[in-house]
Amino acid sequence: MPHTPKDTSGRRPRVAALVTEYRKYSHGQNIVDRLMGGYGWESRWHHPALDVISLYVDQFPESDLSREREARHADLRIYPTIAEALTLGGGELAVDGVLLIAEHGDYPVNEKGQTLYPRYEFFCQAIEVFRASGRSVPVFCDKHLSWNWEWATEMVATSRELGFPLMAGSSLPVTRRIPSIDMPMGAQVEEIVGLGVGGIDSYDVHALEAMQCLVERRQGGETGVVSIQALRGDSVWQALDDGAWSADLFEACLCRSFSLAPADESHRHTYPTREELPQLVGSPPVAYRIEYADGLRGTMFLMEGLVSDITAAARIADRPDPLSLLFYLGSGHHMQPNFFNPLCHHIEELIVNNRPPYPVERTLLTTGLSGAGVESLWLGEKPLATPHLNISYQVAEASTYRRT
Amino acid sequence: MGEQARLKLAIVTTQWEWRSHANHMGERFLSGYPRAGRWHRPAIDVAGAYVDQRGEDDLSRQRAEEFGFAVYPTIPEALRLGTDMLAVDAVLLIGEHGDYPVNDKGQKLYPRYEFFSQIVDVFRQDGRAVPVFNDKHLSYSFDKAQRMVAMARELDFPLLAGSSLPVTFRLPPLELPPGRRVEEALMIGIGGSDAMDFHALEALQCMVERRPGGETGVRAVQLIEGDAVWQAGKDGRWSRRLLEGTLARSDSRSGIALSDGRPQDLAHSGELEELVENPSAYFIEYQDGLRATLLMLNGAVQDYTFAARLEGTGEDAVVSTQFLLPGQPNVTYSACLMEKAEEMFVSGRAPYPVERTLLTSGMLERCLQSRMDDHRRLDTPELQVSYQAPPVSQFSGALESAT
Repeated sequence: MPHTPKDTSGRRPRVAALVTEYRKYSHGQNIVDRLMGGYGWESRWHHPALDVISLYVDQFPESDLSREREARHADLRIYPTIAEALTLGGGELAVDGVLLIAEHGDYPVNEKGQTLYPRYEFFCQAIEVFRASGRSVPVFCDKHLSWNWEWATEMVATSRELGFPLMAGSSLPVTRRIPSIDMPMGAQVEEIVGLGVGGIDSYDVHALEAMQCLVERRQGGETGVVSIQALRGDSVWQALDDGAWSADLFEACLCRSFSLAPADESHRHTYPTREELPQLVGSPPVAYRIEYADGLRGTMFLMEGLVSDITAAARIADRPDPLSLLFYLGSGHHMQPNFFNPLCHHIEELIVNNRPPYPVERTLLTTGLSGAGVESLWLGEKPLATPHLNISYQVAEASTYRRT
Repeated sequence: MGEQARLKLAIVTTQWEWRSHANHMGERFLSGYPRAGRWHRPAIDVAGAYVDQRGEDDLSRQRAEEFGFAVYPTIPEALRLGTDMLAVDAVLLIGEHGDYPVNDKGQKLYPRYEFFSQIVDVFRQDGRAVPVFNDKHLSYSFDKAQRMVAMARELDFPLLAGSSLPVTFRLPPLELPPGRRVEEALMIGIGGSDAMDFHALEALQCMVERRPGGETGVRAVQLIEGDAVWQAGKDGRWSRRLLEGTLARSDSRSGIALSDGRPQDLAHSGELEELVENPSAYFIEYQDGLRATLLMLNGAVQDYTFAARLEGTGEDAVVSTQFLLPGQPNVTYSACLMEKAEEMFVSGRAPYPVERTLLTSGMLERCLQSRMDDHRRLDTPELQVSYQAPPVSQFSGALESAT
């Protein structure tokens, strides 16, 4: 099916948002409210050059804000189905972009610990409208593509088949970095360590995306992952003692964190000793040990309690010190989650320019890494070959994180 | 380096308790601190301390026991480590926290000058002077602050002072472009006086001091409060465009943004004026004609932001940033500041001029005088403090970000 070129009539693009729920600080609220009301960007209050005019909301908890927003915005209407949100109740696709924000809400959890957010299901319903209308528009899919690998690959294949730009992923790759640096393009990256928080299937994706947006810039570009093994609890500490990853990269992550828990009860600012580490991690630690096709080694940690932010460190050939940084998400209470600002900026560019700001293959790969890591844990920390993750892609040299 | 070659540091402080500056800053020299992705162990050991007020929550005794230094009953003894000669290689002076009187300008009379004078007396008597770092402003009194700087010049020892805001991370890592005229500057701050307004004024100062011609001092100041602040904005005494620039950098708006989650354009929505209970504006008129304003907006935001209008009319004519103050438990900004103190202790050179803090100390004192004098504009011929900013940016992440 031919892809419709960008509308050049000068009309502001109209956008449909499909969200699982719309309550304070849910991803749906954070993204849609920014696109409707603007946000701080550089030295301005930025008003996006698009209009969110239709909403599909899957669940309405007591704290729902979508109905309040519908009343507040004259142009906004909530539709009972995804098809109607995309057609505005008519017979044909009537919007210029679709936001698929299926994070948060009450959904079943499978035996492996994955929450069955209906991203694929929402996507399929949107595709039905695209096919019926003979026209496709850009789609943004928040976070990973699907908990189900086959479905995730199908989503990417469908976007290629219909020729519409698909953007996906976490806000981690685009948020501010401290220091404000990127992986040098073409660097010979030998090893990367990412340190994150939260649980598998929810926050592992954030840490994986943070690592991936750095290493994908390495010499030769991304060529995929050949194996993964996930560890939990004591196995992680055992692997630490065995030198399974570089100690200086782990140290660099802890030293870039703004939230390193002090081990000392008398409130000294200390670096934790090996003995103190297990006491500081609140829930059992998780590690994903990742072997890339080109020999690069990666290790992702989830260590809730030791830190509450996300950092990464990489060893680059011929550089004496690791490259290390914090992916800045805010540093205290009373703060807005303004890491959504750069994400919204890229969403706007996706829809206005009809072009994804970075390859969806990044998120396809992290989707697969999350799924494989969860699978490895479920199989008792079994090492898994990952031939399905032979995903190659190349990013452009221009950085896409928030620098200005 | 052998054990005997390590440098010795004396900490002179008012109070040493949990979350005091002695805890957050002084203890970086006991336990180390994160620096550019490594846990850095300073090349200097705490050898002695003087603590002016030691109450129930005092931490200095247990720290001394754990780390093998002594807390002495007087400042000279802390500097001589119980001998009869100056026995340390550097002094960290932290006159913040503790129970001290407040004067009629609302300034807390921390004895920084008095402690400093005792330190200098030891230097004089023993015929040797070592680097001194003075936390925050030099003194509540500009007269005393000037005398401190004069003493350092007379005895020729490096003196570094000030707030952590000039050296903490900036979002984004902004430094004013060299050689471009600054037409107007606006700083937003929060907190009480004369503690937090000092931080905000020094953050403002470390940005504008890089303007062409360098710093030549301040010719007049005025502090106004209440609704007069909003009226002054309408009258063009401070710029709403720059207010938009600063607030675009804030990550901590109160009001609707906090209660409902909807980001709010506080510069234009009208909510700002409702959120701020008692705004104050500190007007600074520089000798070279630059006008800068500090707005203290308690109730509206929780962070410190800056904007300036540069000469020219392009979209890049307004620049802005946030001075990042990472919160508990690491309060990393204090490690950023101690990195600079350590740099001076080890190299014997102050990485940026103490005149920045001298001028800021004077601007603050004169502003508080204006508040007492019915918010009158005060000429400040005494604030003709001239200096050149360091050519290389000194804030954290500046060099890494540039590469």
